[in-house]
Amino acid sequence: MNEMPIEEYLAQGGRLTSPGNVPPRYRGELLRLMASFVDSELAASAGFADVINDAPGITSRIAAARIVLEKADHAERVLKVMAEFGADTSRYVGTHPWAARVARDADIGAVRQGGDMRLAVFHYPLAGWADAVVMNVLQGAAAVIQLQEYGRISYQPLAEVFRAIAPREARHAELGRAGLAQIMETAPDQVRAALEYWHPRVALGFGQKGSERFAMLKRLGLRHRPNEDLLAEWQSTIATQLAEHDLKVA
Amino acid sequence: MSRFHPLEVTDVTHDTRDSVIVTLRAPDGEAFRFIQGQYLTFRRDFDGQEIRRSYSICSGLDDGTLRVGIKRVDGGAFSSWANDNLAPGDVLEAMPPAGNFHVPLVPDQARHYLGFAGGSGITPVLSIIRTVLTREPKSRFTLVYANRQISSIMFREELEDLKNLYLGRLTVLHVLEQDAQEIELFTGRIDADKMAALFTHWVDPKSVDVAFICGPEPMMLTIAAALRDHGLQDSQIKFELFASNQPGRLKQSAKAQAQAATGRSCALSVTLDGTTRALELPLDGTSVLEAALGANLDAPFACKAGVCSTCRAKVLEGEAEMAVNHALEDYEVRMGYVLTCQCLPLSDKLVISYDE
Repeated sequence: MNEMPIEEYLAQGGRLTSPGNVPPRYRGELLRLMASFVDSELAASAGFADVINDAPGITSRIAAARIVLEKADHAERVLKVMAEFGADTSRYVGTHPWAARVARDADIGAVRQGGDMRLAVFHYPLAGWADAVVMNVLQGAAAVIQLQEYGRISYQPLAEVFRAIAPREARHAELGRAGLAQIMETAPDQVRAALEYWHPRVALGFGQKGSERFAMLKRLGLRHRPNEDLLAEWQSTIATQLAEHDLKVA
Repeated sequence: MSRFHPLEVTDVTHDTRDSVIVTLRAPDGEAFRFIQGQYLTFRRDFDGQEIRRSYSICSGLDDGTLRVGIKRVDGGAFSSWANDNLAPGDVLEAMPPAGNFHVPLVPDQARHYLGFAGGSGITPVLSIIRTVLTREPKSRFTLVYANRQISSIMFREELEDLKNLYLGRLTVLHVLEQDAQEIELFTGRIDADKMAALFTHWVDPKSVDVAFICGPEPMMLTIAAALRDHGLQDSQIKFELFASNQPGRLKQSAKAQAQAATGRSCALSVTLDGTTRALELPLDGTSVLEAALGANLDAPFACKAGVCSTCRAKVLEGEAEMAVNHALEDYEVRMGYVLTCQCLPLSDKLVISYDE
């Protein structure tokens, strides 16, 4: 038969389709990537749950509740793919305290905390409704870009899940922008303060420039565009969105 | 977690010289209800070593049967055994159907599916064809089917019968490596030129809703690249790669040399991405993963709680135990796999590889 090393197949854009044809390093990196996504979604969902009661109107309460619901649902969908590799889904959710946060003024950089794989930004606490909305606008735009990237991932069952999730995450970001427009009418100063707090923290989630890990993930087809490209796209998207409200970040 | 079920073999048909079609009696209930394009994973003990092999279901949803096609692989223990020895009345142990090589059916839509199969890659594609023909009465299917020669074409007559039964809805284009055919498109291997010719003379790429590809890796790459070049999106292209990464050839498993833990540290050898490092692992509850990370090795991990299986590695020498294991199955543990985040040495030497 036409035997081809799996690494070469992947480097040429091949797709893997089941746990049975996944080589060891690929398996480890794929599970890590999924765990990071699941943990981030669970932490985001848990963090936003507290915010529902801060929401000023019924529409915004529904929006916040919807974000809480759907992010948990997205975590579950990816966890199902992890389960095919042996992950114990029933125990997984109890592994880490998803609602736990560090102090507002702690500086943890981009470092993961303990065994919890959520992005560092999800370790910081939300401080009220305006703060939560701004965080959601910024992280929502980041999620849209990251999900575009993940929709091309070489593990086909996961790429399909990400492509199904992407429009709903995009909707969460839209809800954030609608909320932002409202708050700008009443409390623009709170928005400016929140922007200053969240913008650098969300930016860190895109990872390092010239990352060696990226090169390895690219060979495996688990990543395609470098961190700095995704970051630049996010910065320009956010700049455009903020300009609508005459807002700027440093 | 998935379990194995005993399934009785009701029929074994030799389809070509080196393939058999095996019909199984599905147990009552929901467990073996399948989706078109899925596969079954079988296990069997060969001289004390358990081998697992996955084979695609080739039945359609409305066939009322559960059939798999098994092509003989050179030196393959399971496929050889199935081709030579399997007979009606035998019992095979199988896990419930798995895999997602399909798109949801929409009965009232008129879709055009394009399928590419190489050799035994026809099995899941046949399941999809049979299902689409009955469940989506307005849809049609074009199959491009590559084989070495006429005598190695699996399901050749069955495909002919389907073509006649569903007149005009199933088109089959055979591509043969060896036997010369009248049109050049149909001889040789599928390459970019053949794909271009296919899209010029036979198939309008704009008419294609979904493409399925199952075959050897280089063939899948060539076809997927051509499909993208002709305007198909990634979401319209479904790959199925054979699940064959597990060693199917029989070999002696390495015997662990149990040594009592005498000293206060363990000589730990860790292989990762082809490089081996020697480390000292203190016997104070430090896990293998922590030792590896502490030595700046880029070992994979995620939950550190024994539930996610990201940090899986294999013990090649020495003895170890896991504090917690919620992710590995018994057979993986028997093969020597451990969750390194939970792995503590019991011997004063431990050889671990993340590359197995």
